[in-house]
Amino acid sequence: MGVTCVCQVPILEGKSVQQTVDMLHKKLEQLGAVKQGSFFVDCETYHATSNASGKKRQPSKLLYVMHNSETPLSCLALFEGGPYLTADVNFDVLMVKLKSHFQNAKGHKVESRGTRYRYCDFLVKVGTVTMSSSARGISVEVEYCACVVPGDCWNLMKEFMQSFLGSNVPELPSVFAAKPEGLYAPVDCMDTMVQYLELFSKVRKQQVIPGASVR
Amino acid sequence: MADVMNVGVNLEAFSQAINAIQALRSSVTRVFDSLKDGMKNKETLEGREKAFITEFQDNLQAVNRDLNELERLSTLVGRPSESHPLHNSGLLSLDPVQDKTPLYSQLLQAYKWSNKLQYHAGLASSLLNQQSLKRSANQMGASAKRRPKVQPSTLALPPQYVDDVISRVGRMFPDVSIELFRPNGTSAVLLVTLGKVLKATVVMRSLFIDRTIVRGYSENVYTEDGKLDIWSKSNYQVFQKVTDHATTALLHYQLPQMPDVVVRSFMTWLRSYVKLFQTPCQRCGKFLQEGLPPTWRDFRTLEAFHDTCRQ
Ligand SMILES: [Zn+2]
Repeated sequence: MGVTCVCQVPILEGKSVQQTVDMLHKKLEQLGAVKQGSFFVDCETYHATSNASGKKRQPSKLLYVMHNSETPLSCLALFEGGPYLTADVNFDVLMVKLKSHFQNAKGHKVESRGTRYRYCDFLVKVGTVTMSSSARGISVEVEYCACVVPGDCWNLMKEFMQSFLGSNVPELPSVFAAKPEGLYAPVDCMDTMVQYLELFSKVRKQQVIPGASVR
Repeated sequence: MADVMNVGVNLEAFSQAINAIQALRSSVTRVFDSLKDGMKNKETLEGREKAFITEFQDNLQAVNRDLNELERLSTLVGRPSESHPLHNSGLLSLDPVQDKTPLYSQLLQAYKWSNKLQYHAGLASSLLNQQSLKRSANQMGASAKRRPKVQPSTLALPPQYVDDVISRVGRMFPDVSIELFRPNGTSAVLLVTLGKVLKATVVMRSLFIDRTIVRGYSENVYTEDGKLDIWSKSNYQVFQKVTDHATTALLHYQLPQMPDVVVRSFMTWLRSYVKLFQTPCQRCGKFLQEGLPPTWRDFRTLEAFHDTCRQ
């Protein structure tokens, strides 16, 4: 587990999502990156019912349940703004049992699927973000596997991302700066999921691109 | 000759002792056999018990006798010598198929040669140090006569001394943590953790660094059975490169008369990797070259370069 950065890449003017993804693939292959299987990250949204929010009627937080193909035996549960939880994949069954407390927001499932690329010690995942089977955008995850401290390797990662994202290089993910020890705390897998969650929420609020169905 | 005789006597005692062990085992077996069979059929219950107890007592006495015999013989056998100069490898000389696999004699030869080489290298280096400005051969000859008989002692330093040197080096650098292990006899293996960047396994022979493997901070440095892994390489290309350069550095930093200085210089050099991912190349100014950060560190200036950017 290295330092990861997840960002959204805008769709090229006059191109479709798939055409933009193909462009990215081509640029990575020109660099010398090698295809290494596929990946997915998905996210379901749950509303707390009045049973769960208690008597004080606090504004109820949303609960997100996510999966990542890199950790196929885990299921990650994230409350809006924390706390975050890593659980066994059985957690999905538990959520069904808890449906009197947490209601699945149907049609809110977002996922990103695509190809994994390996380049030296970098892992790059270019994914198409879909929501109710329409393509909503493109996610790019870059992981520098050899380093665990964001403060150490951020500039290096930025230089790498520049080589195939050009001017679309993202800022330092805020999840790293938010930690009590700051940028020099070792990363964990939750940092990646929080970044995907932020990207998915952004995509959800976005306008539907007309005629961009993928299936 | 005396040695051979000695071995002969020992062998006799050995074979007697083996016989005694066999006797002891069979008498113990007899005890349990009779216990297992239980009481024999006799007319009266009393008679049965008596016969059983007598048999049991006889058997136990036989065990006692055999045990005493074995103890007596074991004092004759003596201990295998533990103070062998080559430690456990001395046991190779006990191999009966010596003629087919002359491993031990070859090992002794190699050891002798290595010691000789070390000794001559030491003399050469001290001569060169003294004579750096004087080139006259006369002088060399004169000093050769007074040449002190330096023992190749650096190969057999007491472990305590090695510990001291290592702990002093560790105190010099606050961002370096050094753990010392002795998994195989007296030779030390160091686990050097550099900040949150890398972990280097350094295998020592006395105070000489034998080999080193550099791995990532998050990588496992132990084998499955919990021992320090001194063989398998890093999974990451950047640390494989650093391992190669560290091996080069071991060849560069050589000073046979002052091995502790070598250890200190090597650690100072290795420590410059604490900014492995943060320092751009001093030549091309970039972080990455073919996907790798600047993995080379100059031996003098400790400046960072890509492998392809150094001269
Ligand atoms: Zn360079």
